[in-house]
Amino acid sequence: MKVHEIMTTQVESVSPTTSLRRAAQKMSDLNIGSLPIIDDGQLLGIITDRDISCHAIAMGHDPNSTEVQKVMTRDVNTCFDDQDITDAARLMSRQHIRRLAVLNHDNKVTGFLSVDDLARCSHDLAGTVLESATPTH
Amino acid sequence: MKIQDIMNSKVVSISPDATTKEAARMMHDLHIGSLTVMEDDQLVGIITDRDICCKVTATGRDADVTKVNEIMSTEVTTCYDDQALGEAASLMAENHIRRLAVLKRDNSIAGFLSVDDLARSSHDLASSVLEATSPRH
Repeated sequence: MKVHEIMTTQVESVSPTTSLRRAAQKMSDLNIGSLPIIDDGQLLGIITDRDISCHAIAMGHDPNSTEVQKVMTRDVNTCFDDQDITDAARLMSRQHIRRLAVLNHDNKVTGFLSVDDLARCSHDLAGTVLESATPTH
Repeated sequence: MKIQDIMNSKVVSISPDATTKEAARMMHDLHIGSLTVMEDDQLVGIITDRDICCKVTATGRDADVTKVNEIMSTEVTTCYDDQALGEAASLMAENHIRRLAVLKRDNSIAGFLSVDDLARSSHDLASSVLEATSPRH
């Protein structure tokens, strides 16, 4: 099975100059835990609820004036939408992560693949990813 | 197999009177995503990195003055350490959560059980929890 068959295609994003407070509001309103930072179709980074609390608030950055590009993770793990889901699961396990950005061959973001998406088609693939993910106790 | 066989028995706690900035700093330093809020040896709540993002940053509150007890979750879903793994998975699925506080029969805190812990014993149980809880992309 290919990544594009099970990935989530509805991609909410923010621009690099969005404030941390606005990004936090968006995650809260949409009940999501991360947002890609996209500029002109290109993926620049990812920001998570944890980045905002643990890398900005913990360090005393002002969420009203700090832009997401200051806190975002730039090294985003990606796969292509026509790759096999087994390859994607292996990449998640190896990198100890639970989500990949999905690109087409023009390097534009077409969706995201999470361990939840994997669970809907293979309990074993999802279970393997969870086992190797970084603990978040 | 019982919950006590696979749970994480490390409990990191914080006082309800600590500031949310202190909580964020602690989660950052210890690489964890949630803290147990304890008062007089009793579990009074849980605070997560997401709580700080959504209830402090998103709403424009000041993390230097907002206390842990103002935003923590006081409705903590619990199980007992001698219960079966299947019961824990059902509790998670029914309540749409991925982590349970584990109590001993004298109601003192024994640890936490996450969907990651479940995955190490059963891919099927862990994946059924993922399928039942809402996706967070």
